[in-house]
Amino acid sequence: MFKRIWSLVIKEFIHLIKDWWMPAFMLFGGASELLLVGWATSRPMTNLPLMVLDRDQSQASRAVVVALENTGTFDLQSQAPDMATIHNALERGDITAAVIIPPNFDNQLASPTGHPSLAVLLNGAESTPATAALQAVEGVARETGERVTLRRLNLNPDEFARFNPSLRVWFNEALNEAYYTTPAELGLMLEFTILLFAALSFSRERELGTLEQLLVMPFSSLEIIIGKSIPVILVGFFDFLLMLGAVHFFFGVPVRGSLPLLLVIAFGYLLVELGKGLVISIISRTQHQAFLLVMMVGMIDFMFTGYAAPVESMPRIAQIVANAIPANHWLNILRGILLKGAGLDVLWPQILALAALGVLIGAFSLRYVRRALD
Amino acid sequence: MSFRHLRAIVRKEINHIIRDRTTLILVMVTPTALLFLMAYALTVDINHVPIAVLDYDQTPTSRAFVEQVTQGNDLDLYAQVDSLDEVNRLLVRGEVKAALIIGTAFERDLLTLRGMNLQVVIDGTEPKTGGFAVERIGGQAEAFIGELLADQLQSLGITQSSLQPINLSVRAMYNPGLKSRVDMVPGLISMVLGFPALSVALTLAHEREHGTLEQVLVTPVGRVEFLLGKMIPYVVVGLVNVIVIPAIARATFNIPFNGSFALFFLLSAIFLLAILGMGMVVGVFMRTQPAALALSFLVIFFPGFFLTGIFFPIVAMPEEMRLEALGLPGTHYAVITRGIFLPGIGLDVLWPYAVMLVGLGVAFTAVAVFFFRKKLG
Repeated sequence: MFKRIWSLVIKEFIHLIKDWWMPAFMLFGGASELLLVGWATSRPMTNLPLMVLDRDQSQASRAVVVALENTGTFDLQSQAPDMATIHNALERGDITAAVIIPPNFDNQLASPTGHPSLAVLLNGAESTPATAALQAVEGVARETGERVTLRRLNLNPDEFARFNPSLRVWFNEALNEAYYTTPAELGLMLEFTILLFAALSFSRERELGTLEQLLVMPFSSLEIIIGKSIPVILVGFFDFLLMLGAVHFFFGVPVRGSLPLLLVIAFGYLLVELGKGLVISIISRTQHQAFLLVMMVGMIDFMFTGYAAPVESMPRIAQIVANAIPANHWLNILRGILLKGAGLDVLWPQILALAALGVLIGAFSLRYVRRALD
Repeated sequence: MSFRHLRAIVRKEINHIIRDRTTLILVMVTPTALLFLMAYALTVDINHVPIAVLDYDQTPTSRAFVEQVTQGNDLDLYAQVDSLDEVNRLLVRGEVKAALIIGTAFERDLLTLRGMNLQVVIDGTEPKTGGFAVERIGGQAEAFIGELLADQLQSLGITQSSLQPINLSVRAMYNPGLKSRVDMVPGLISMVLGFPALSVALTLAHEREHGTLEQVLVTPVGRVEFLLGKMIPYVVVGLVNVIVIPAIARATFNIPFNGSFALFFLLSAIFLLAILGMGMVVGVFMRTQPAALALSFLVIFFPGFFLTGIFFPIVAMPEEMRLEALGLPGTHYAVITRGIFLPGIGLDVLWPYAVMLVGLGVAFTAVAVFFFRKKLG
């Protein structure tokens, strides 16, 4: 039996080597894409174009402008001469936000009961940078306001600060963006590599008419499945190691937990995705169909990796669905081991969930694919 | 170029697509279906964040504070715990995203105006959620102090309003609630309309793999005709989605469409030609369908997803990356879709993006035609 499986594996690798583009993409594509995407997106929100219309032109208003610059969030464009310029720039999408300082800002600030105001206009057509801009402006307003309050009341700044809750950030003290983005990006690329590779395995043979040839040979259906699976797992695991290396050495994401545990779970996760890929592969009549199904399944899974939105804020139905998505548990485990140093004692519910899904999906796909092959 | 030849190729492609019902349905519905699934699940506003509470004080005041913090929709009390170890375990598991630690002298310190013995711990691996929790807890703490200590503060001459003297009036143009869904739906159009490009790359490689390319090439059909004929059915598929998406967006998520639909349609057609041109280039260079698919994922799908400014703004990317983003049709098209949907701007503002799209479309198609060998080597 092993000899027969071995010959099947050799056959798969001959296919791969004949068109050397494919193995090159499969082996190195994910990791190089991850480097590119991770590099582009794992940075704090800076450089947001901002326009200021200073109608006060006082020392106090200039201090606000300097404070805005000092947040590091903004790239301060020229001072705007009038509102029309601001509206025009917002409409064109040239600026993310505009801050308007009214003419009596300084006077209001100096008077003991004054309420100076600041107007902020945001470009809602791009809500992500607009939200970051709003937070930065709010921070400046709060700090300026606090200083004013203290001055008005003749209070000692050290005493007053004690009324704010103190904040501690765990697992990512410097709030490094890469900790947050790159594991999810790794998850997406790994999943697509595996799904695509597995989904093309039978659909390709069927489209090219070689599946029948394979079936009349003295292989059992189980042998065919194992023979098809081994190259996918080998390539997928190699890909995972490469991407993990990129995430760790290039983006400085730590591996705080047990690396062997992570590798074992990664292997199990690959088997789960392989099972899904093989089912897609056997129900697709052409490679085109297989690709379109992979697209659907892969993107749906990606929604639950916590990349753009936390799962616990999603609508109730989506949260229930999330429990049945292996990628969701996998990402929790990946983040837990890498960033939080979690071990089996803590992560067992997630691991159990992933294992249960794995058994379910694996059993179904094995039965389904075997029956289809026989 | 002959119109008759072109028509023959288009008809051949349409036959290919229609004969296979499943593929036809999938090609047609994938872009719109995925767009709305993503809009539904990905673009939610953060709420119901689970937090843990560790209350060392155990006084009526501390309990009232916990009550106030967790009463709304923003933060949910997941568990009251007794030790830091438990806080740690819940955070590591990701079951809570933040924890509120109330110190022993919370009530006494507050009532004697000595300060507030309160600590907030957040999970730094999910900064968005954690930041949200901090902001809400801070806000609730301010309100709580204001109410609890109103009398004492008044005797010191502090009123609620003098605690925050600066009035910030915020106006989010085109998207009053600053909801991410409002700009994400138009933005994601540029990503989902890239799917037909992957299909084109695949069908080109398909012809080569099955050896049917030779059959076509012995006919009097020219290369430009052949490539255009391959593209046109997918342009049509894309345009059907272009018509359907704004309608569904308005009906389901109440996304406004303020600009000119004719302009949107026209620029979408240009974008489709550009992105399909990219697919052509991939299909021309790759011999087998798996290779064509893998390459189109690497150069069309992933960049279209991450690097066109839909999730992460272009201005915040590194300099070199911004240049690369300019070479992706999706970058320009995302500006166009958001501009037409939300501020409703016209060609007077959008023309540079339209010009870039035309330029990229011509460039990609030219490369594809140039390298598309009439004779197979």
